[in-house]
Amino acid sequence: MSKSYRDGLPISPEKFVDQLMRLKRGSIGRREFLGLTGLGIATAVMARELGIMPTPAFAQEGLGDRMSIATWPNYHDPATFENFQAETGVAVEVNVFGSNEEMLAKLQAGASGWSLFVPTNYTISTYKKLGIIEALDMAKLANYDGSQEDPRFTGEGTIDGVTYAVPKNWGTTGFAVNTKKLAKPMTSWKEFWDTAMAEGDGRTMVHDYQLTTIGNALKYFGFSFNSLKPDELAKAEELLLKVKPHLFAVSSDYQPSMRAGDAWMTMCWTNDGAQLHRDIPEIAYVLGKEGGEIWTDFYAIPKDAPNKPAGYALLNYLMNPKVAVREHLANGAPSTDARVNALLPKEVLENPILYPAADLLKPLEFGAAATLTDPGRAELMARFKSA
Amino acid sequence: MRSNVLRHNLLTALLLGPATAWLLVFLVLPFVAIAVFSVGERAPEGGYQAAFTLAQYANLPARATAFWNTMVLAPAGALACLLVAYPVAYYLALRAPERWRLILLALVVIPFWTSLLMRTYAWMYVLGGRGVPALLAYVGMEDVRLINTPGAVLLGTVYGYLPLMILPVYVSLERLDRRLLEASADLGATPISTFLGVTLRLSLPGVMTGFSLVMILLLGEYLIPTLLGGGKVFFIGNALVDLFLQSRNWPFGSAIAITLVAVSVVVLLAANRISTRLSGARRVDLI
Amino acid sequence: MTAVPDIEFRGVTKRYGSVIAVSGIDLAIPPSAFVALLGPSGCGKTTCLRMIGGFEQPSEGAVFIRGHDMAGTPPYRRPVNMVFQQYALFPHLDVEDNIAYGLRQARPRLSSREISLKAGEALAMVRLAGYGRRKIHELSGGQQQRVALARALVNKPAVLLLDEPLAALDKKLRTDMQIELQNLQREIGITFVLVTHDQEEALSMSDFVCVMNGGRIVQLGQPSEIYDEPADLFVADFVGKTNLLSGKVVGLSGKLVEVALADGTVIAARKRTSMAQGEAVSVSLRPESLSLGAPGSGRLNGLVRNRIFLGSTAEYAIEVQGIGTLLAKADHLIGGGNLFKPGEPVAIGFAAGTPLAFPENNGTNQRENKNVEIIS
Repeated sequence: MSKSYRDGLPISPEKFVDQLMRLKRGSIGRREFLGLTGLGIATAVMARELGIMPTPAFAQEGLGDRMSIATWPNYHDPATFENFQAETGVAVEVNVFGSNEEMLAKLQAGASGWSLFVPTNYTISTYKKLGIIEALDMAKLANYDGSQEDPRFTGEGTIDGVTYAVPKNWGTTGFAVNTKKLAKPMTSWKEFWDTAMAEGDGRTMVHDYQLTTIGNALKYFGFSFNSLKPDELAKAEELLLKVKPHLFAVSSDYQPSMRAGDAWMTMCWTNDGAQLHRDIPEIAYVLGKEGGEIWTDFYAIPKDAPNKPAGYALLNYLMNPKVAVREHLANGAPSTDARVNALLPKEVLENPILYPAADLLKPLEFGAAATLTDPGRAELMARFKSA
Repeated sequence: MRSNVLRHNLLTALLLGPATAWLLVFLVLPFVAIAVFSVGERAPEGGYQAAFTLAQYANLPARATAFWNTMVLAPAGALACLLVAYPVAYYLALRAPERWRLILLALVVIPFWTSLLMRTYAWMYVLGGRGVPALLAYVGMEDVRLINTPGAVLLGTVYGYLPLMILPVYVSLERLDRRLLEASADLGATPISTFLGVTLRLSLPGVMTGFSLVMILLLGEYLIPTLLGGGKVFFIGNALVDLFLQSRNWPFGSAIAITLVAVSVVVLLAANRISTRLSGARRVDLI
Repeated sequence: MTAVPDIEFRGVTKRYGSVIAVSGIDLAIPPSAFVALLGPSGCGKTTCLRMIGGFEQPSEGAVFIRGHDMAGTPPYRRPVNMVFQQYALFPHLDVEDNIAYGLRQARPRLSSREISLKAGEALAMVRLAGYGRRKIHELSGGQQQRVALARALVNKPAVLLLDEPLAALDKKLRTDMQIELQNLQREIGITFVLVTHDQEEALSMSDFVCVMNGGRIVQLGQPSEIYDEPADLFVADFVGKTNLLSGKVVGLSGKLVEVALADGTVIAARKRTSMAQGEAVSVSLRPESLSLGAPGSGRLNGLVRNRIFLGSTAEYAIEVQGIGTLLAKADHLIGGGNLFKPGEPVAIGFAAGTPLAFPENNGTNQRENKNVEIIS
């Protein structure tokens, strides 16, 4: 036999280590890994205490020499912050978090130390209500051009005519399917849930996140993604409890399982869908035709930001289309800014995962603040998970 | 005389000062904070708002399933761990050649230097589709699923906590007077009777220590069921993570945490009591 | 035809790797005897006992118990019981349960009534009636010792093995227990095999003493025989106190040899092995065989260096020019008329036939200078 024994191995040792490191770094769901580990808080504390951030040789007038940003893992082009430091002398300390709730908790507790952070649309009104984010001084954001922003995505950054946050990128929540394993074409959430109990039995994943899991169960019946109506929620709960024994996992860390072939179908965010499809073409990304979630991540500045000038400077820098386009190429999520889209290559703009057809986008709903913080939905999720 | 006593007390206080302060700051204060939270209310936007109500405690049945799952997992996991750990500890303490003993013990402990998270991720990989199932597929067994099964959770639990079980059992077996085993054989006891009547009996303090240690850690475990069980089974630890980090219902989470602490204390006291009784009432044997 | 021995060793050798612990032992212990295995530490006596108990297997040869070859028979199937060093009582069981431990292993099972009855008898036998519910750690050393005895004897073994059973006790208790053990053995009538390094204990308690050295049996005999007629220099030195005087053979006549001591004095001594003219020998003189008198009245002359008055006797350290310090023991006559003072010159005499000559370089490696130990 001329075949090496290594041909039979499912993975080479080098590949294994690569995979492990990738798992560790977080091409896994941001909510999962960091939420579980508390790594976000730990890195934040460590970096500050140990003085890991270098002190630059010079500093631009009034900007200080360092600032910190709270964001999501794998969400930026690392070169962005290096270039910013080279231009301004301000070193950027990056704190990565697992969930909006964690960010909120940290800001609420005070003294977060961030001068910029990246909240998702539905949290902004809560931040405003709690009075912990800054009304943005648009004069300091010359690179931002509201007229170039798709108004569909910018709305929630502005409350009563005051802008509290400007958009970074948007995305959708659909589902990813391994079409080799589940060949039947699917176009709806109804099919997603039904398949989970049939051909996809034991191979389907749903998010460990009440907003999307309950929201998409509501979609099975055609109810609003954000519904808080008890009778509608009761039906969603009934469905979820029925599906539960057929699931592979309740987890937002679905990339490894989809890649390994353990899971065949999962709820999925745009950028994960794009990455999965790019690496494994048979994995398709589907938006339910009944609707579902559309979301936007924003930039905002905390009221107690220790270095507001630097926060504004970095935000303004990030609003430069030339900078922003590299960010979008790095994290894979679609941009809200027409100027950025103009710079993006054609194959990105034509990628239906990133830029779905208008009729698919139409029924999508933004998550509502009330939905996220509703105790009733939290309890429903707890009942589902403990069933 | 009196000043001597005073000086002595002062010295004791000085020596114990740092430890006491540490306990106060890192154990007592958080506990007090959690106790205060637990009688408060959830603020409308989440978090805590001051109040005095026992509503959170009255609401505990809402997590009854989580409590139940935990109360089953913790002792079952600890027991499974014990069943694997005991023979290992027995071999190390009574059978392994002297010069190998330290090396073997080190091998037991070394994995502990890596974080449990990393080791659990490694298991995710091993049990995942590209790990063992891929090898099985190579020999013709297609589509075997190992990850996200109760078996995987059990394996992860046993693996993760094995050293914590082996070490106390090893210590109690290692301290066992070998002559007692000979005495037992001399008095006509077969090896099995000797094991049950002497070895096992006298290692019970170590068994109880390991068992309660592992069980208490398992009471708060959430990583392993989440990562190797697919988060389909909900434990108290998972309930706490969700309540503190997701729905941010801190008062309810605090009430659950306090209840969990109370349960842990009861477990510890019970274990202590049992092993004291079994070891011939010599407290020394508990160490 | 004599009775089948209770214990018999046939050509038994025990090796641990390259170390030989016991070498070619042949030994038969008659029924109902109290036998002591006596020797310094490392002489192989404990290994022999453990081979009887079944905790060690002979590398060569065989151990028989009442005529049965014990090869392959585990400890729990042997009709012997042991009293362990430091007793090895079960700390988790009370006194009665310790004693009942062996009874509970019996098959067919004994009824619990029977067990508690027998345990009670055993307790009474060792004078511990009423102590049944005590915890082991609540007992004194002597009491623990008696529990260990009861725990072994309650099983009615063919042979009782005792591994340094009295080593942990203080002197007074040890003497009491010696008598108690002797009485017990006579009462029960089974064979006791006692391992000890204490020659006094061996001599006072046993019917037979088996002296061991370097893995071999050096001498087997009744205590008086061992003491009066030691087989070699080692036994002479190890058992009891003695004075060893170096010399050279200058004359041979039958069972006697003429030995010239270092100072030139020539004395007659009995010999146990054949000797050649001019051979270096040691002459053993027991302290009690020496008599002291006014200078000039004895065979050797010396100076009293030290005196230890012991009541019925007195021990003297006497320095003899050219020979060294000798230990002498003299009965004390009421009135003290025969006491010598330190510094006084004395003459040392001894009855003919008491000096024993042994070839040098035979077992002398185990020799200790006991005289010095006792005096200092």
